[in-house]
Amino acid sequence: MSNETATSARHRVFSFTRLCAITANTLTELTRLKVFYVLLLFALLLIGSSIFMAQFTFQQEFQILKDVSLGAMSIFTSLLAIVATARLIPQDIEDRTVYTILAKPVPRFEYLFGKIAGVLLLLAISTLVMSAVFLAVLYLREQSVLHMALRQMSAAPREQVDDALRAIRSSALNIDIFPGIVIIYLKACLLATLTLFVSTFATTNIFTVVVMVFIYFIGHLQATAREYWLHEHSSGWVTRIFLAIVALFFPDLQAFNLVDDIVAGAAISLGLFLKTAGLGIFYTTIYTLLAAFVFYGKEL
Amino acid sequence: MTDAAVAIRGLTKVFPVPLHRHSIVAVRDLNLRVEPGEVYGLLGPNGSGKSTTLKIILGLVSASHGRTEIFGRDSRLVESREAVGFLPENPYFYKYLSGEETLRFFGRLCRLGGARLKNRTDELLELVGLTKARKRRLGTYSKGMLQRIGLAQALIHEPKLLVLDEPTAGVDPAGSRQIRDLIVDLKRRGITVLLSSHLLAQAQEICDRVGILAGGVLVREGRLEELIAIENQTELVVANASSGLVDEIESLINRSNAKLIERRRSTTTLEKLFLDATTERPES
Repeated sequence: MSNETATSARHRVFSFTRLCAITANTLTELTRLKVFYVLLLFALLLIGSSIFMAQFTFQQEFQILKDVSLGAMSIFTSLLAIVATARLIPQDIEDRTVYTILAKPVPRFEYLFGKIAGVLLLLAISTLVMSAVFLAVLYLREQSVLHMALRQMSAAPREQVDDALRAIRSSALNIDIFPGIVIIYLKACLLATLTLFVSTFATTNIFTVVVMVFIYFIGHLQATAREYWLHEHSSGWVTRIFLAIVALFFPDLQAFNLVDDIVAGAAISLGLFLKTAGLGIFYTTIYTLLAAFVFYGKEL
Repeated sequence: MTDAAVAIRGLTKVFPVPLHRHSIVAVRDLNLRVEPGEVYGLLGPNGSGKSTTLKIILGLVSASHGRTEIFGRDSRLVESREAVGFLPENPYFYKYLSGEETLRFFGRLCRLGGARLKNRTDELLELVGLTKARKRRLGTYSKGMLQRIGLAQALIHEPKLLVLDEPTAGVDPAGSRQIRDLIVDLKRRGITVLLSSHLLAQAQEICDRVGILAGGVLVREGRLEELIAIENQTELVVANASSGLVDEIESLINRSNAKLIERRRSTTTLEKLFLDATTERPES
């Protein structure tokens, strides 16, 4: 067998083993970062401290608890997505580790997908940990309020007690929290892949972080601007194309803000959830592909 | 005809300078052939285009013109790198991994696993003398140890070609000697080595052939002994010769048409003196 044939037979265009090796290594790399623990600790403290917040009515208390906890989760995952991803590629280039990896039979897209998969895994773990703490705090408070209500209403008629307990349960732990958490995670995934895309042509991670901070704010404001241009002004095709380009590079992050509805007690429809989740997955996929495209032609 | 381990034909690399009209020519019309089993030294001063050439061979940088092949395959193809191991200049690797974890990581990138990866890891740690430091994080490794673990990762998938960019840069003489001994050992095992260096004395010891780059142009190339030989001069190194015998040889030379250019006592090299004086082996 000639050398060429032997090499062809051995090589695989895509290898799950290689991808897993890069993903696992990226996860290890990120969990060794001090900033990860500082941010996670801060988020957990914030969620945990909600239990000691001023107690008004139980509805207000649960509302504050959800507002603070889901808000902390959203900010933490967004910050982590940007900070963790911004350093991945530039750091590997600076340390020349990217040379040793890509000098092996590793396609560039596999390296990039492995890296981002590591970040998404870290975000998933962080979201799960924070969700577990948040739900535990919420459950403990719910139990405490239920016991208090039962004690106070010991002489009240059965129906009145049942109504009160139902009201407490519905304002505490309800099913709408879960789609909200999924959307928070998807928003973080979107930001991570967008950061990865920016980092493929950035020279330093500071540049990437600064650009991402701008994109983060523009992303939260662009829905308002789009509303203004499309409804307050005439919306010609030039405006529409311009807004479509803006929407591609500055995703509408406000669309992922379902937390306000959850906190207010409004139910999130399946349609809205699927639409928002689909938007998140679409952006995440597009940015990953764009990053792979830019990185493919990058001179190392 | 056997495929060359590395074949470079008409290679030119131009780096455009952003916001400027002019561009930098890093490599100009380079033609090179490294035969299987030889140690080839790409020599030249800093900025002569050595690292750029190696990066093009490894597909890390694209060529502006020309073609590079590894064992007959276009080196831009990922599969051509199944046959290559690479050690970059001053590698850092992941500081949080131990020596053993590093080799396992790079092994998995080459789709090694299970007992085969474990055996290969043990074998390479032994080869580069880092068995005792296998559990230590790379953050605690000395420069020489990092180079050796770098060499081990380059060899993890048993490549037929080893590309080394300044393999002894920044390493102390003892570590440098160990790396050179390893390269000689690899050559004995039939592995082709292409290395870049600006440390000429070291290259002279291990290279079969060298190419000298200057300003991106190959200005000299050939077998080392042919390139450095002085055609009309001969050296005699004699041990235990009395001064009478040396005088006799000298008068014999003077009586002939030949001319004695220099008469001096043989000296050791500063490196050998250093290695003899510093008996301690580097950490391993």
